[in-house]
Amino acid sequence: MSAFKQIQDQLRVAIREGNEEQATILAQRAVEMGIDPSLIFDECITPVLAQAGDQFARLEIFLPEVLLAADAAKAIFKVLEPVIQADEAVSVSLGKVIIGTVSGDVHEIGKNIVGIMLEVNGFSVKDLGRDVPVSAFLDTARDYQADIIAMSSLLTTSMPYIRDLVNLIKDTGENKRFKTLIGGGPVTSEWAAAIGADGYGKDATEAVKVAKQMVGA
Amino acid sequence: MRNASRLIEILDRMENGPGIIEKDFDSLIMKRIPELVNEFEIKFYGENFVNTDDAMADRCYEAGLKLAEEAGVYCVSNNRRMIWSRREILDTIKWAPTSIVIGAGRDAHNEYRRDPEDPRRPTIICGPIGQTIPEDLFLPIMQSYFQEQIADTVITGTIETVYGRECRTKSPWEILSGWHEAELALTAAKRAGREGIAIGCVENANSDITELSATSYGAFRQTDWHHIAMISELKTDYMLLNKLTHLTKTDCILHSFYNPIYGGLAGGAEGLAVVTVAGLIMLQMIYMTTTHSQCPTHPFFLSNTAPPIIWSIGLSVQALSRNTPFMLDVLTSPVGGPCTKTVLYESAAIATTATVSGAARLMGVRSTVGKFRGHASGLEARFNGEVGYAAAGMKREKANEIVKQIVPKYLNQLDKEPKGKIFPEAYDMHTLRPRPEWLKMYDEAKEELSKIGLALK
Ligand code: B12
Repeated sequence: MSAFKQIQDQLRVAIREGNEEQATILAQRAVEMGIDPSLIFDECITPVLAQAGDQFARLEIFLPEVLLAADAAKAIFKVLEPVIQADEAVSVSLGKVIIGTVSGDVHEIGKNIVGIMLEVNGFSVKDLGRDVPVSAFLDTARDYQADIIAMSSLLTTSMPYIRDLVNLIKDTGENKRFKTLIGGGPVTSEWAAAIGADGYGKDATEAVKVAKQMVGA
Repeated sequence: MRNASRLIEILDRMENGPGIIEKDFDSLIMKRIPELVNEFEIKFYGENFVNTDDAMADRCYEAGLKLAEEAGVYCVSNNRRMIWSRREILDTIKWAPTSIVIGAGRDAHNEYRRDPEDPRRPTIICGPIGQTIPEDLFLPIMQSYFQEQIADTVITGTIETVYGRECRTKSPWEILSGWHEAELALTAAKRAGREGIAIGCVENANSDITELSATSYGAFRQTDWHHIAMISELKTDYMLLNKLTHLTKTDCILHSFYNPIYGGLAGGAEGLAVVTVAGLIMLQMIYMTTTHSQCPTHPFFLSNTAPPIIWSIGLSVQALSRNTPFMLDVLTSPVGGPCTKTVLYESAAIATTATVSGAARLMGVRSTVGKFRGHASGLEARFNGEVGYAAAGMKREKANEIVKQIVPKYLNQLDKEPKGKIFPEAYDMHTLRPRPEWLKMYDEAKEELSKIGLALK
């Protein structure tokens, strides 16, 4: 524990400052010292990233700082991955999310913010980008073994593609396997309920809350 | 037009620029902006909302120009950067138009560029740009804007359905909705007695094909003005360049816009101003545009009426107005809706800042940030324009004092979605006049703002 204490503060600073290089070095040192990876997750990565997310939600810091912190955390994860795989008891992710902006729609900043907020709050996130065809969501969800399919739409005219996906996974019988989480400008909770989506978030903070409920965290 | 002769050059840059993956382009911008903010000493102190420092405006221009030169514009369809040297940029933007006649016949309007503190009135664009409008309300709502005498031109909202059918993008329904928008907008103009007035269009044209279709014979006209967006931050794609190619070949008036996000890749208020300057310069480079619009957006309130954004709008407009021939446009995008005083205060803050900073045109109002369907009416657009008239010729110091008094009147509403009332509750549907309750708020707001120095009465 004391060995960990020494490195803990440095790791937290490296993540907070988004110093990828330093984070990697420290993580390697931690592995050499035989520190339990779950400690690094619970005491460093999870709280520091969550704090960065909270600060962004209050706009005390801006997106670039959050992104850099997340990158530093990813660098640590890369170092720890082999160790973790040997020890299955460590759970490093709340769940897997794939996220994208639906077909025909290039509005993606809100989606990016939601993606990064999910990530800093403990989800593994795969971002498919913008203008994503309905079938690509499902293909990737299968490959990635996602828990949640998150879709963003900012246009009244791209919203129908959200409904297409919700219906498609009903038809393929995968609606129990993948939960659907939706949001973006014109999307409302009433509409989400009407089309049978599993969840709606009015902003990134709510998105995180709902996603956590979905995976029972 | 003189500045519209570069189509092939633009397409060449699109085809032959250096390749880069999108994530790396984003990182480049994200890293470079804070450095430029430091290097050029751009600083938002929080207490002043309208910039009064010419030297800072000029430095903001230099920083934006440098970013424009270094980053260029990313074409996401082929993963290339469209770049021009500083020399080429300067040699090009100096030919941007400084005036243009829009509209036709007795409704033709001559619009012109403006300087900071310019005594001449800005061009007033009334309309709920891009706001979702239920189909059965489209005609009366649009008429409520066309009938405003202050309107030099009108911008349409987005029709929710087409003949009652759901309208999905990239489908024939979207094309039909573009035509529907043209038919209804032209009818509304005619009913208001303003047949020739220029219309900002095609709002339903998310895709290139709808823009093309609804800009052909029988729909929108060459005397209207047409939109092409820049994807935030500093990006474009084939679909947008398709619109450019068509609109250039059909000799249409090009209006381009850029909506950077506060707190996003560009960071805070300072970075926002720099990326806005870079973006508007590049709009001229890649789209040969006539007017250059901006609507920086808050990541949570979705409006442009939060103090750091107001400051960024003022600074970036001053930067470009002082250093380029551009005709600059500012959209008012408030959280408030009809039958709230909030929407009026927010409009006053933006219209004052934009006018004294050198905006050539004021556009809006996009009530409830475009989020609540049908929550839009001509009266808030009239108010926005009237504030522009009242602020024309005003010193920036005075404008700053005024805006500082207006902002506290709505600040605590920004996270509350004060959507007010839907059009039929705000206006009498037979006379198409504002209901007494709404008119009373408008009168009171004018009275209040007159007392703090805006000559609205
Ligand atoms: C920025 C912007 C653009 C940029 C987009 C750049 C980019 N890379 O994203 C550009 C300039 C390209 C653009 C273009 C267009 N736009 Co636009 N745009 C906006 C604007 C101003 C802000 C959107 C934004 O980024 N907001 C900031 C982010 C952070 O907010 P957000 O996306 O809503 O996300 C938050 C929540 O909604 C939620 N959320 C978002 N996604 C998800 C997903 C999940 C799963 C969950 C749970 C939550 C969630 O959390 C986010 C964080 O808090 C809005 C107006 C507005 N006030 O919203 C119009 C708006 C969305 N655009 C509109 C229109 C019409 C267009 C165009 C068609 C205009 C035209 N005629 O060319 C084109 C279409 C482009 C296309 N193919 O999609 C309309 C839509 C009208 C409608 N109802 O259909 C709007 C409402 C504005 C308007 N009234 O004109 N636009």
